[in-house]
Amino acid sequence: MGYVIGIDVGGTFTDAVALRPDGSMVSAKTPSTPPDYSQGVLSAIDLLAAELEMPVSQLLNETDHIAHGTTSSLNALVMGKVPSIGFITTRGHRDSIFIMNVEGRYLGRPQHELQDIMGQSKPRGLVERRLAREAIERIDRAGNVIVPLNEEDARQVIREILAEGVKAIAISLLWSFRNPVHEQRLRELVHEQDPTAFVALSSEVSPRIREFARHSTTVMSTQIGPGLKLYLDDLEGRLRDLGLRGALLVMQSAGGAIAASEAAASAITTIGGVLTGGVVGCAQLAKKLGHDNVIATDVGGTTFLAGIIADGEPVRAAQTIVNQHPVNVPTLRVDAIGSGGGAIAWLDTGGNLHVGPLSAQAAPGPACYGAGGTEPTNTDANLILGILPETGLLGGLRPIRKDLAAEAIRRRIADPLGMTVEEAAAAIYAVQNAQTGDLLRKIVVESGYDPRNFTVYAFGGAGPAHCAAYSAHIGVANVVVPLGPVASAFSAFGLASSDIVLIREHSDPMTAPFDPARVEENFARLEREVMEAMKRQGIRLNRIVLHREIDIRYGLQLEEVTTPLADGPVTAASLEACVEEFEQRYARLFGEGSGFAGAGIHAITFRIRGFGLLETHPVFEPLARAVSPDPSAALLETRPVCLTAGKGFVDTPVYDYHALRAGHRITGPAVIQVPTTSVVVPDGMYGDIDEIGVLSIQTNSNVTQFQPKRSVAG
Amino acid sequence: MIPGSEAFVTRPVDPEALIRSLPSRLQVHTVSQQAIDDLDPLTYEVVRHRLWSVTDEMGETLKRMSGSPIVTDANDFDFTINDEAGQLVQVGLYNTMLIGAIDLALTWTLQNRAVNPGIEEGDMFLCNDPWVGGGLHQNDTVVFQPIFHDGKLFGWTSAVCHEPDLGGTAIGSAPIGNVDVFSEALPTPPVKVMRKGELQHDIVDVWVRRSRVPMVVGLDLRAKVGANTIGRQRLKAVIEEYGPDVVKAVMKKMMNDAEHRLRHKLLSVPDGKWTATGYQDQAFAGDRATHKVVLAMTKTGDRLLFDFTGTDPQAGVISCTLGGCRGGIMLAFLPILCGDIPWSASGLMRCFDIIAPEGTLVNATFPAAINRAPLGTGWMIGNLVAQCLSQMLERDFRFRDNVQASCCGTFDFACVAGTDERPKEPVPFLNVVMETVAGGYGARPGRDGINTGGSFCIPMGRVPDAEVTELLYPLLVLWRREEQDSGGAGRQRGGTSCAVAMTPHGTSLPAHVIMSTSGKATAQNPGLAGGYPGNLGHDVIVQGAAVDAMLARGVIPTDLGELAGEADATQCFATSMLSPGDVLYMNCQGGGGYGDPLLRDPELVARDIGDGLISMAAARDIYGVLFDAEGRVDAPATDRLRQDMRQARLDRMTIGSIIEGRVEPGEGQPVDDNLVIVGDGDRARVGCRHCGQALGDADGLLHVGAVEGESSMAGPIVRSDPHHFVDEEIGFIQHICPGCGTALHTSIAPRDGKQTISGFALA
Repeated sequence: MGYVIGIDVGGTFTDAVALRPDGSMVSAKTPSTPPDYSQGVLSAIDLLAAELEMPVSQLLNETDHIAHGTTSSLNALVMGKVPSIGFITTRGHRDSIFIMNVEGRYLGRPQHELQDIMGQSKPRGLVERRLAREAIERIDRAGNVIVPLNEEDARQVIREILAEGVKAIAISLLWSFRNPVHEQRLRELVHEQDPTAFVALSSEVSPRIREFARHSTTVMSTQIGPGLKLYLDDLEGRLRDLGLRGALLVMQSAGGAIAASEAAASAITTIGGVLTGGVVGCAQLAKKLGHDNVIATDVGGTTFLAGIIADGEPVRAAQTIVNQHPVNVPTLRVDAIGSGGGAIAWLDTGGNLHVGPLSAQAAPGPACYGAGGTEPTNTDANLILGILPETGLLGGLRPIRKDLAAEAIRRRIADPLGMTVEEAAAAIYAVQNAQTGDLLRKIVVESGYDPRNFTVYAFGGAGPAHCAAYSAHIGVANVVVPLGPVASAFSAFGLASSDIVLIREHSDPMTAPFDPARVEENFARLEREVMEAMKRQGIRLNRIVLHREIDIRYGLQLEEVTTPLADGPVTAASLEACVEEFEQRYARLFGEGSGFAGAGIHAITFRIRGFGLLETHPVFEPLARAVSPDPSAALLETRPVCLTAGKGFVDTPVYDYHALRAGHRITGPAVIQVPTTSVVVPDGMYGDIDEIGVLSIQTNSNVTQFQPKRSVAG
Repeated sequence: MIPGSEAFVTRPVDPEALIRSLPSRLQVHTVSQQAIDDLDPLTYEVVRHRLWSVTDEMGETLKRMSGSPIVTDANDFDFTINDEAGQLVQVGLYNTMLIGAIDLALTWTLQNRAVNPGIEEGDMFLCNDPWVGGGLHQNDTVVFQPIFHDGKLFGWTSAVCHEPDLGGTAIGSAPIGNVDVFSEALPTPPVKVMRKGELQHDIVDVWVRRSRVPMVVGLDLRAKVGANTIGRQRLKAVIEEYGPDVVKAVMKKMMNDAEHRLRHKLLSVPDGKWTATGYQDQAFAGDRATHKVVLAMTKTGDRLLFDFTGTDPQAGVISCTLGGCRGGIMLAFLPILCGDIPWSASGLMRCFDIIAPEGTLVNATFPAAINRAPLGTGWMIGNLVAQCLSQMLERDFRFRDNVQASCCGTFDFACVAGTDERPKEPVPFLNVVMETVAGGYGARPGRDGINTGGSFCIPMGRVPDAEVTELLYPLLVLWRREEQDSGGAGRQRGGTSCAVAMTPHGTSLPAHVIMSTSGKATAQNPGLAGGYPGNLGHDVIVQGAAVDAMLARGVIPTDLGELAGEADATQCFATSMLSPGDVLYMNCQGGGGYGDPLLRDPELVARDIGDGLISMAAARDIYGVLFDAEGRVDAPATDRLRQDMRQARLDRMTIGSIIEGRVEPGEGQPVDDNLVIVGDGDRARVGCRHCGQALGDADGLLHVGAVEGESSMAGPIVRSDPHHFVDEEIGFIQHICPGCGTALHTSIAPRDGKQTISGFALA
C-alpha cells in the first residue's frame, strides 16, 4: 500500500487530502487557478508533501493513485465557454435539439421562475444551426434498417462540417441504441477525412431511448471531451515528470472514479464529480459512525446542496439538467436547494419577507464583508444575532463589519416592516431555517423516505449555524457536524476514499413477463463491456463487484424506477422477483396503491454498475478524551445571542472547538466557534463531541406528521 | 336553454354571503380580520411556504399516478388548495385555464349539496359538468374534497385533469358535427365518489362504464383521489403544527396580498379601453362561416372589466360556458399581469368583472355542444385578453417586458386510430398527435418570440420524442422541425411553430383520422404594433404519397412537394383515412410578430436566414432585406428596397382623411412601437414616432391609411386560399402611417371586420 491523494478543484478553492499507507490523513487548501487549474492541483500536492514532511517526488513516487474531481468542465458548459462542434443526426430530425420537446423553455429552472413565464426563454441552441446536419439513414424501433446510410451524401456533410474548422463531431441517430451500425460507420467516415477529429456516438455515451436527451448528452460530452483530454494529458504529464507512479483517476457524477485516459471519451460523466464528492465522503463517514440513512447538506457561501444516503447507499438519479438541457447519464442525486450564506433577504411588493434564491455571490458577498454588498444576507443576520463572531470569519482572516450588516437589514427589512434590526435578523434566521426544512422534506419525500428516519450531516461553512433548526423542522432527531481536520476538505476526502465505478446501460423496451434469454443477453453484453473497461483503467483492483439494474415502469405511467436484479442466472423466477421488487419500490416512492399493473409492466433500460474496489481505509485521528462532560475549559466567552425571535438576546456560552475534547457535552443554547464555521446548539438541545471530534446534536424534535409509509389510497 | 338546466349553472357569488347561506349543521371555520392583521411576517412566510410544498406534492402525486399521456406528457391538469368558501388560495402551474373554473364547482357544491346529501368529513366529490364548473369541457374531470378540523369545514383541495374519453358519439368525446351536448360526454354534477373515506364502487363503476378507455379513466380517478389524500394529510399536518387560526389567517392573507399587489400595479398604468376581435373559421364539420369573439377591456383605477358584448351566438362545438370564459381570461391574465405576484387566484380574480352575454360563444347555454371549448373559444378569449393587456402595459415603460404579441392560437387536434400489427397479436392503437403543442410564442418589444415555445395556456407542457411516438404507435416520424417562415414577421420576429410529418409503419391497414382546429383562413395569432401574424394552421393528409416506395429507394422526403399524390389542406373539422404510404402533415400556428418587419435589423434577418428560420423570399418580400453575392447584407440595396416598399404601400393605400400637422416624435408618451401621444387633455394628439405625421386628435380616432388585398399578400404564413374553408371574404389588411408608410397594424381577417390600433378606433 502507498499513499492515496484526493483533490477537489472547485471554482474558488482547491482542496486536497492525502491518506498515508496507515490510513491517517493530512489535508491542504489553496486557491484555484483558472484557467489553468492544474497549477492549483500542483500547489495542493506541494502543500500535502510539506504536511507529510517529504519531498513532492517521494510522495508522488509512493502514491498508488490520485483521485481528481474537477468543476472546470461543468463551468465551461454553464458559462458557454466550449468550442464549436459539429452534430449529425437522422434526416428530418435535426431540429430536435432546437425544439427541445418544448420543455427546454423551463427545464431545470427553480420553482420561482416556473411561474414567471414571461421571464423564460430557450437557450439559443446547443450547436450552431449551420453545424447541425443530417445524414440520410433510418432505423426503426425494432432496430431494422429502413433506409441504409447514404455514404456519399454523408461524406459531403462531414466535409462541409470539417471545412468550418471544427475538431469534434457528435453523432446521434434515431434508434441508434437499438442498432449502432450507422453511427459507427459515420465515425469511420469522419476519421477517413480527419483521423484526429474527436467523435462521440450517442450509442456509446447514452444508449437510452428518447432522442432529445440522447442528442443533448452526446453533444455536451463532445463539447467538453477534447478540452478535458488536453487538460488531463497535460496534468498527467506534469505529474509523471514529478515522479507520479500510480494512476490518475477522475471523479464521475455517479460517485466513483475512472482512469484519466478513459475520461475524455465519456467526458459528460465527469461533470458532477465535485458535487458528488461530498456525498461520497459523507457515505464513508456515515459507515464509520453507523448511520444508514443520511441527509447530506453542504452549505457554502453561494450554494446549498443536498444529497441523500438511504440504507447506506447514495440515492441515484438517471438524469440531471444542465443549461435547461437533459443529461442522461447515471448520477448521484444532488439537489441545489438554495443559495447558502449569501442568500439575500428581501421584501416583495406586498411587504412579505423572503430569503433567497438570489445570492450576493462571492462578490460582492454579504454586506458585512464590506466589499460593496448592500443587500442583507443570511450571513449578515447571523452576525447581528451574535451567532458569528464580530472578530471576523476564518479565524479572523476575513474581517467583517457589523455596522454594515445592521445598515443593510435596517434599510431593506427592518424599517419597511417597522421592526428593530434584531427582530428582522431573527425573522430572516427563522424563515431561512423553515424554508430549508420544507425543501429538504420535499427531496426526502420525493425519494420515497420519511425524514424522521434520517440523520442530517451538515458541512460547508454556512450550514452548521442552521442545521439543528432545519433538522428539527422536519423531525430529524440527530444532526452530525463533522469537525476537525477532515471537515474543511470533505469533498477531497470523498474523492480519496472512492472506488472505480463504471456504468454501462442499454435501452431495450420489453413487456413483462420478460424473456430471460433476451435479458441474459443484454446483461452479458453489458458485463463484457464493463469488464473490458475495468482492464483499461490501468490500476490494480482488489475486487470487482457488478450490480445489475433494470429501469421499469407501469405501462401507462410515466415514472421509471430503477430496480436491482439478483445475481446468478437470469430465470423467469428471478425476473418475477425483480418485477415484485419494482412494485414495492414504486409503492414506497409514490404511495401505496399508486401503481397500476393492469396496464402492463415495461422494462426500458438495462444497466450494470461495476465497482472496482480500491479498498482505502481512512483512519481518523483520535481526539484526546475529556475528563468530564463539562466543557467549561473550552469556554471562549459569553455573549448575547438571539436564536429565537420570541426570546430575544440571551447570554450564551461560546466554545472554542480546538479546546473541546472527546466526551464533552454542549448544552444549548450555545455556539461553537470553529475557524471555518460557527455551530449553533439551540435552546433545549445538546451536542456531544465524539472520539474523532465529530459533533452530534440531539434536536429533541417531536414532529410527528409523517406516516412511515405514504398512502394515497384514502 | 332547456328549462330545468338553469339549476346547474354557477355564477360567482360573494363568499361571505355563501357561507351565511349554509345550513347550521355545516359548521364552518373562519377567522376575523383581526387575526389576519395580527399575523407576523415570519409566521406568514413560514406557513405560506409550507402550503406551497403541500400543493407541490399534490401535483407530483397526480402526475405520477395518472395513466394518461395527456397528464404525464402534455400536463393538461391542475390542482388547488381552497379556503372554506372555496376560494382559490394556491394553484398549480399546469393548465392555467382550469383555474378559472374550479372555484365555481365548489360554490355550486356549497349551494346545492350542504343539506342533502350533506358535506362531511371523508367525502370526495367528482364533477365534470362545465356549467357547474371544475373544467372547460366534460373531459376535464375534477375531484375535490372538504377538509374538516374539529368538526368544522376548514377548506378544500381539488385535482383536475383531462380524460381521454368519457363516451358520447365520437372517439375522445369530441364529435365534430353540428351537434348538441347530448352527443358528447354526459355532464355529471358533483357526486360523492368517496364517503367517510371509502371509495364508492357503484359511483366508480357508473363513472368508468361510459368510457372507451375505462382503464385509463379508472386510473386517473385513483390519481385524483390520491392527490387529494396527500393534500389532506399534509394540510392537516400544517394545521396541527401551527393551529387552525394561524393557517386560515395565512390563507386569507395570501389572497388579500395578491389582490392588493395587483390593484397597486393596475393603479400605476393609465386608465383606458382596449378592444380586440378574434375569428374562428368553422364551428363544426361542414360549416363555412367565421364566428367572432369581441372583447372590450376597460381599466378604471384598480379594476379591469372584460366585456364580451357583440360576440356571436353559440355555434357548433366551439362555445364555452362561463367557467370556460373565466378560464380563457386566466390563461393570459396570470402570466402577463401576475407573473411576479403569487397565484392566490381568488384574490387576483377580485380585480376584474366580466360581462359575458348568455347564449353567445363565451357563455353558452345548455344544451350547446362544448367539447372544443378550451381549444376553441376559451383559448381565443385568452389570446384576446393577452392582446388587450399587452396594449395596456405598453403605455408604461416599466411593464414593456410583459408585452407580447399573440402566441399560437389553438391546438391542432388529430387523433389517429387503427391496428398495430407489430406485436404477435395485432392490437388497436389510438394516438393523439401531440407535436402540435409546439406552437410559437409571440414576439416582444425587446426580443423575438420563443421558437416552438409550446402552448401559452399550459406553461409546463411538453411534446414527446419521435422515438416515444414510434415505440408506442405503428408510425414513422418522417420529419419534425421548426417550420421555415412560420414566425410572424416583425421588428421582432414571432416564434416559429413545429411541423411534423408521419406515415404508417408496422401496419398494413388504413388508420382512421379525426381532426379539429381553426385558424386556417383567419389569423388567431396576430402581431402587435404592425407585426404580422404567425403562420396560419396548415394540416394535410397526402393520400397516395407512396412514401414506402421512396424509403425503399433510399430516399427520405423532407417536404410535401417531394411526395406523389394530392397535398390538399384538410378542413378545420375533418375525418379521413391514412393508409400505408400516406403522409399526415401538421403545422400548428407560430407566434405573432412585433413592429413593422421593415424596421427589423437586417443583421437579424441574415441570422434567421443562416439558421434556416426564414426563406430568402421572405427576407426580400416581407423584410425588404437584400444580400450580396457572398451572402452578406447589402445595406444600400436594402435601404432602397425598404424605401420602395414603403412607397408602394403609400401608393396603394386608401384613406378617409389625413390630419394636417406634425408632432415632435421625441416628446410625449409612447403608445407602442409606432405611436406617440403628445400634449394632454384637449390638446393631446397622436402622431407617428417615425416621421412625426399627426394621426389623431382629441376625438381619439386615428386617421391612417389601409392597404388591403388577398390574404396571400401576407406572404408564406398563408399557404391556402381562405375560400377553401369559408365563404366570407377574408383578406390581408395593413394599416399604415400615411406619412412614412410604416405598418401600424397587420391582420388577416374578414374584410368587413372592425379594427382598433393600440386602443384607438379608426376614423
